[in-house]
Amino acid sequence: MGAGGAAGAALPGERVRVSRLTRMLESEKLLAAALLAPGVVILVLFIAYPFVMALWFSVTSIRVGDAGEFVGLANFAKAWSDTIFQTAFKNTVFYTFWATIFKFALGMWLALLLNRHFRFKRLIRASMLLPFIIPTVLSAFAWRWMFDPTFSVMNWLLFHSGLITDRLPFLSDGEWAMWCAVLVNTWRGMPFFAITLLAGLQTISPDLHEAAALDGANAWHRFWHVTWPLLLPVTLVVVVFSVIQTFSDFQLIYVLTGGGPANSTHLIATYAYQVGVASGLLGEGAALSLFMFPVLFAVVWAQLRFMKRMEGA
Amino acid sequence: MKRRKFLKATGAGFAATGLAGILAAHRAPVFAQANTIHILRWNDFVPAADKVLREVYVPEVQKALGIKLNVETVNANDIAARATAAIQSGSGPDIIMLLNNNPQLYAAGSVDVSDIAGEVGKAQGGIYGLPQAMCTVGGKWVAMPWATVPALISYRKSWFDEIGVKEFPKTWAAYHEAGKKLKAMKRPIGQTLGHTFGDAPTFAYPLMWSYGGQEIDAKGKVVLDSKETVESVRFMTQFWKDAHDEGGLAWDDTNNNRAFLSGDISATLNGASIYVAALNGADKFKTEKGAALHTDILHAPLPTGPKGTYPYHTAFTHMVMKYSKNVKGAKEFLRWAHTPANYEKWIVVQKGFAIAPTSQWEKHKMWDVDPVMLPFKTASQKGRHMGFGGAPDKKAAEAWNKYIIVDMYAQAANGKMKPEESVKWAAGELSKIYT
Amino acid sequence: MLIERKWKKWVTFYLPMAVFIVFTLFPFYWMAVTALRPDHELYRTWRQASATPFWTLEPTLEHFKELLQTTAFPQWLWNTMLIAMVSTLISLICGMFAGYALARLKFRGSEFLGTAIFVTYLVPQTLLFIPLADIIRDLHLGNTPWALMLTYPTFLIPFCTWLLMGYFKTIPKELEECARIDGATRFGAMVRIIFPVAIPGILSAGIFAFTLSWNEFIYALIFMSSAELKTVPVGVVSELIRGDIFFWGQLMAGALLGSIPVALVYSFFVEYYVTGLTGSVKG
Repeated sequence: MGAGGAAGAALPGERVRVSRLTRMLESEKLLAAALLAPGVVILVLFIAYPFVMALWFSVTSIRVGDAGEFVGLANFAKAWSDTIFQTAFKNTVFYTFWATIFKFALGMWLALLLNRHFRFKRLIRASMLLPFIIPTVLSAFAWRWMFDPTFSVMNWLLFHSGLITDRLPFLSDGEWAMWCAVLVNTWRGMPFFAITLLAGLQTISPDLHEAAALDGANAWHRFWHVTWPLLLPVTLVVVVFSVIQTFSDFQLIYVLTGGGPANSTHLIATYAYQVGVASGLLGEGAALSLFMFPVLFAVVWAQLRFMKRMEGA
Repeated sequence: MKRRKFLKATGAGFAATGLAGILAAHRAPVFAQANTIHILRWNDFVPAADKVLREVYVPEVQKALGIKLNVETVNANDIAARATAAIQSGSGPDIIMLLNNNPQLYAAGSVDVSDIAGEVGKAQGGIYGLPQAMCTVGGKWVAMPWATVPALISYRKSWFDEIGVKEFPKTWAAYHEAGKKLKAMKRPIGQTLGHTFGDAPTFAYPLMWSYGGQEIDAKGKVVLDSKETVESVRFMTQFWKDAHDEGGLAWDDTNNNRAFLSGDISATLNGASIYVAALNGADKFKTEKGAALHTDILHAPLPTGPKGTYPYHTAFTHMVMKYSKNVKGAKEFLRWAHTPANYEKWIVVQKGFAIAPTSQWEKHKMWDVDPVMLPFKTASQKGRHMGFGGAPDKKAAEAWNKYIIVDMYAQAANGKMKPEESVKWAAGELSKIYT
Repeated sequence: MLIERKWKKWVTFYLPMAVFIVFTLFPFYWMAVTALRPDHELYRTWRQASATPFWTLEPTLEHFKELLQTTAFPQWLWNTMLIAMVSTLISLICGMFAGYALARLKFRGSEFLGTAIFVTYLVPQTLLFIPLADIIRDLHLGNTPWALMLTYPTFLIPFCTWLLMGYFKTIPKELEECARIDGATRFGAMVRIIFPVAIPGILSAGIFAFTLSWNEFIYALIFMSSAELKTVPVGVVSELIRGDIFFWGQLMAGALLGSIPVALVYSFFVEYYVTGLTGSVKG
C-alpha cells in the first residue's frame, strides 16, 4: 500500500508536490509494468515473435526460398508416421530419462561428499565444475576422440588392463552409442546437480542432524528422513531445468555421433535439424521440433503444480 | 509487409536510444560498399587451395576488376545451415559454394548463370555430364560448376602384393576375396557407412548401381525394392563382416583418412586427400618398414558389379544468390576465376584432389607430374547422379540428405535388419519423398 | 575403534571422492596431454605398441603457439568474453527487475506472466534460428556482436528471473517496509536495499548466465559470418577442423584455453555461487 504517501517528510503546512514520476513508481501496477518491460520486450521480439513464425512454418509446405502453401497438419502427420522420427522420439526419452537419473544420483552423492570438511575443499569444489564450464562442442569433440574406433584411449585402457580382447564398439553400435551419449551428458551435467544440491544441503541446519542422531537414527535414516524432505524443493527445480535442457539437447549428439550410426542416436532436435536445414524442408523441420513441446509442457506444468502445493503446505 | 513496418518502427525506437550509434561502432569492418563480393566456401581438404584464394585471388581480382573479395570458409557440414538462413532472411554471402545436387534445393534463391556456363563450356571443351546434371533445372543453370572431387580407392600396394594380388581387384567378388585375406592379417578395408556427406554416399550409390539397383524409374516411381538391390545389400552384409573394419559404422569423412595414415586399414574409398596428406607429411607418415607412406599408395576405381560400374563423384559448385546486392560483381568474379590463367592457379595446387568440370583440363601438364594421381584425371567422364532413373532434383536431394541409401546398407551390415527388410524400409522411406 | 573409523572413512569418503575426481577430471588431463603432444605422436592407434595415451616424453608447446599465432583465437576469446559479459549484464538487469516485480509486486496477471516467461525457456533454439535470422536482418544487426548480445538473453532471462524471484521471496518484507517508512520510493528501496542483500543470488545467476553464453553455438554460427567476429566454439570448430584433418593438438589446446576465463570467474565466485543458490532455493 502507500501510493503517493512516501514523498518524504513534509513540513507542516507545506504543500507536498508529488511528482508524476514518483507517483508512477509508487503504483505497484505501473512499477511492475516498467520493471517487466525490458525483459518482456526482448522475449517477445526474439522468442515469441519468431515462435509464432515457426508455428506458421509448421503448417505450411515451406522450403528454402519457397514460401509454400498452407497444409494444415500434414507435416505433423508425416512426422508421426516417420520411422526415423519415432526412433528419435524414443531415443530422446531414453536419453533424458537415464541421463537425469544418473546426474541426479551421482550429483546427490557428490554433494553429500562435498558437504564435508576436508583439505583443498575449495579447490576441489571449483574443479568439479570444469565439465560444466567447458563449451559443450569442445568437450564433445574430446569425448569423440576418446571413443574413436581407431584411437580410443578407453580401448587402450581396457585392453591393457586385460578386461577386453578386442575393441568395444563405442560409437559404432547403436545401443552402445546411446549409452555413450548418456555417459557424456552425465559427465557434463553432474556438476550442476552437485553444486545446486550442495547449496541445498548447506541450508539444512546441523542441529537437525544432531537431534536425529541423538534419537538413534543411523546415516541412512538421517538422510531419508531429515535431508531428503528438505532437499525436495531444490531437487525439483534442478531436475526440471535439467530435463528441459536434456530433452531439447542438440550440440552433444550433433558432435558426438551426428545422429548415427544409421539414425540410431538421433534426438528430436538433431533430426529436426537434419530435415529442416540439411534438406531445406523448413516446414517439416518446424513440425518435428514442435513435438517436443507437449512433453516439456507437461513436465513444467507438473512441477509448477507441485511447487504450489509445497508452498501452500 | 506489415511485419516489416512493425520492425522498422521498433528499429527506429532502438535508434532513438542511441543504439544505432553503438551498432555503428561495433559493426564489422564493411568494405567499401562499391564492389565487394562475399564468398562462402568450405574449409578445403587441401589447405593450399584456400591459401591461393586468399593470397592470390584476393589481390589479383582487386587489380583486375576492382572487386574486393571477402573469402569466408566454414566446415562443409555448416554450409547448409548458413545457406538456409541466408536465403530465408534474404541477406548473406553473395556467392555460396554448394555440394552435390544442393543447387536443386536452393534453386529458388539463385541467379541464372547459364551465360557463364555457356561461355566456359564452349571455351574449355564442354562441361562434364555429372556437374551439368547437378546444376541445371529445366535447362537453366542455377549454379556454376567449380570442381569435382572424384572418389577412388586408395590402397596399400605392398599389402596387396603380399597376398598375391598384383593388380587392384576389378570385381566385387575379387575385392571380397582379397579383403578376407587382408582382414585376417589385421589389415581390413575401411569404409564409412555413417551420416557423412563425402565417403558414405559415394560408396553406397555406386554399389547399388553396379548390381542393377536404382531408386526410381523414368516415371518417378520407386523401384528400389528389387532383386538386384537386395542382392547388393546381401553382398555388402557379408563383405562387411568378412573384410571391413566394423567401426566404420561410426566413421565420418575423416576417420578413414586417419585410419589409413596410421596403418590401420589397407584400402578405402576417398578423394586424393590421403595421398596428398602422405606426400605433404612424408616425414610423419611411414610404412611399417620405415619408408615414406606415400610410396606405398596407389589409386584404383571401384570394382565392377554384375551390371557394370557407375561411379559417383562429389560436385562442388558456386551459386550466385538472388538476394545479393552485387550480382553483376559476383558474375564478373566467376567469369574471371574461370579464365584458364586464373583457374589454373587454383587447380594445380589441388594436385588432382579436385578436378575441373570441363574436359580441356585433362590435357594439362599437371597430370604428367605424378603417375599415382593419373586415375583421377578421367574419373569424371563417367558417372551417375543420385535419383538415377529420373532427375537429380529436389526429391533426390532430400533422399540423399536423409542418407536413405547409406542406411539401407548400414542397417543390414550391423545386423539390425535382414537385407530384404532393410531394402523394404528404404523403399518405404523413398516412397514418402516421391509421392 | 580408531582403525575401524579410519577404514570407514576410506570406504565412504576417500574412495568415492577419488573416483569422482578421476571421472570428472580425466578428460581434462587427457586433453592437456593431447595438446602437448607432438604431431607425430598424435596418430598412433591404440593397438600400436608405441601408444602412450597418458603421457608424452616430448611435450611441446607448438600447438598452443600455432593456435595463438596462426588462427584468430585471441580475437575469438575477446569476442566471446565481450558478448558473454554484455548478454549477462542485460539478462541480469532484466532478470532482477522482472524477478522483483513478480516476487514483490501485486498486479493482475503476475502469475500468468511468470509462467509465460518460464515457458519461453522451453522453445528450442533449433526451431527459432531461421525466423530469427529474418528479424536480425530487419534490425540490421546481422554480423554484429549485438545480434548475439540481444538474442542470448532469450534463454538467460527466464532462468535469471526464476532464480532471483525465488531469492527475493526469502528476503523479509520488513526490510523494504522500514526503508519506505524512512521515505524511500519503491524503486529506491528495491535498488538500495533489496539488491545489495541479494548479491549472492545475483552473482550466482550471473555466473550461470555467463557460462551459458560462453557455451552457445548455433546462433553464433548463423549470425556471425566474419572470421574476426566469431566466438570460441564456432571459431575452433570451423577453423581447426578442415574436412579430413582434425588438428587435434590445436583443438584440445583451444578447448583448454577456451575454458580458462570461465574457470577463473568460477574460482573467484564459487563460494558465492553456492550460498547464492542457497538463498534462492529456500523460497
